[in-house]
Amino acid sequence: MIELHQLTKAYPTRQGLNVVLDAVDFVFPARTNVGVLGQNGAGKSTLLRLIAGAEQPDSGEVVRKGQISWPIGFGGGFNGSLTGEENCRLVARLYGVDVDDVVGFTMDFAELGAYFHEPVKNYSSGMKARLAFGLSMAIEFDIYLVDEVTAVGDFRFQEKCRRAFAARRDRSSVIIVSHSLSTIRSYCEHCAVLKNGQLLYFDSIDDAQRVYEAA
Amino acid sequence: MKGLLIQLQVVYAILLREVKTRFGDHQWGYAWALIEPSLWVLTFVGIYHVMGRMAPPGMSMIAFLATGIVIFQLFRNTSAQAMAAITANRGLLFYPQVRPLDLVMARAVLEGATQVVVFAMLMGAAALIEGSLRVDSVLTTLLGMLLAGGLGLGFGLVLCGLNTLSPTVERLHGPLVRPLFWLSAVFYPIDSVPTALRNILLYNPIVHAIELVRDGWFPGYQTRHIDPWYPAGWILVLLFFGLSLERVARRRLQLS
Repeated sequence: MIELHQLTKAYPTRQGLNVVLDAVDFVFPARTNVGVLGQNGAGKSTLLRLIAGAEQPDSGEVVRKGQISWPIGFGGGFNGSLTGEENCRLVARLYGVDVDDVVGFTMDFAELGAYFHEPVKNYSSGMKARLAFGLSMAIEFDIYLVDEVTAVGDFRFQEKCRRAFAARRDRSSVIIVSHSLSTIRSYCEHCAVLKNGQLLYFDSIDDAQRVYEAA
Repeated sequence: MKGLLIQLQVVYAILLREVKTRFGDHQWGYAWALIEPSLWVLTFVGIYHVMGRMAPPGMSMIAFLATGIVIFQLFRNTSAQAMAAITANRGLLFYPQVRPLDLVMARAVLEGATQVVVFAMLMGAAALIEGSLRVDSVLTTLLGMLLAGGLGLGFGLVLCGLNTLSPTVERLHGPLVRPLFWLSAVFYPIDSVPTALRNILLYNPIVHAIELVRDGWFPGYQTRHIDPWYPAGWILVLLFFGLSLERVARRRLQLS
């Protein structure tokens, strides 16, 4: 479970402060897959980084229960000069889990072939996302934070991700941020909309869609 | 306690990765990190030999210059590495359990350990050439090295914090540290300096660290003017400011 209390974050811009989260109170219920819809620039990625703890809020707090992943997406956090395998070793050590298990699992899951042993800077963004996805699946998290999952690989790989999440339904849940309704429909039962610094919760995705599309 | 263990695990992970990115897969990568500073010392030994200058009585030239140059490098390189820690490894802050301080610690420890190995190698070489090895007090020697490394860490941490506020700070390191090379009793025992000048030089905490190492290493080398508490005080003040800056920096660091 994740609770946001009066969470506030703003970025200075040339036009003044851009408030992406304005005193947000919110509860992500345990074992529920929640999608967060938002336009580009609404602050979806910022929200995920705040939840993960990779970034500090201006005020307010995030209460976390359980092991939470880093924001999984295009592979921010990978070192370009290290190979895929070396990056896996690094992250496994950061999380204190068995290095060889993680490397073996990720190699299988990400299907990068020989590129697994190439420096990450030579990867396409799809390949980076595959690596990030496989790696996060190799470590047991209670909550996976996923940034724009639609970008990850082709249809077949997306199916694989869906099955992997489905297989661990009873242990873990997902929070996905996206601007795409179809992504959120295929992963989540419940939905929130991030708009004008507020996070609104909806039990049904259809209700969320109405608010989201009403510009 | 659990938090401390996680932090140690994180620092260790970053340290291993630093070894990989800095020294590469090449087996000579790390060897070069040891050879380069040793050559630097040997160059000075050569120059001194040609100039006909002698080490203080009872000391080999290599050993005397190593206590000066390597211990100074321990300070200088540790501070330079610590200062650039965040710029170089910003991507790692993506992982929530990695804090800026961990990046700084990992680099400082790696660089400090490297210089300690260089020191041991040169002192070992000097002992082989002399045919004898007598260390007055290992503990005092280690204390001096710890103080030099601690000064480097503290100074680097402060610059690292300032650097996140204004990236121009990084350029100040060279101009600030280079003159210190001549003002830190690297080439001369501090007691050989005229009183008036010595009293000024003693404000420099690195002098105390270097002289402490000599005092500990060479039997019969005595310094009357140094005080280990003085650099220790500097370290406390630098760490206090550095850690406060880290707290500010943590909020300001924006991830791309």
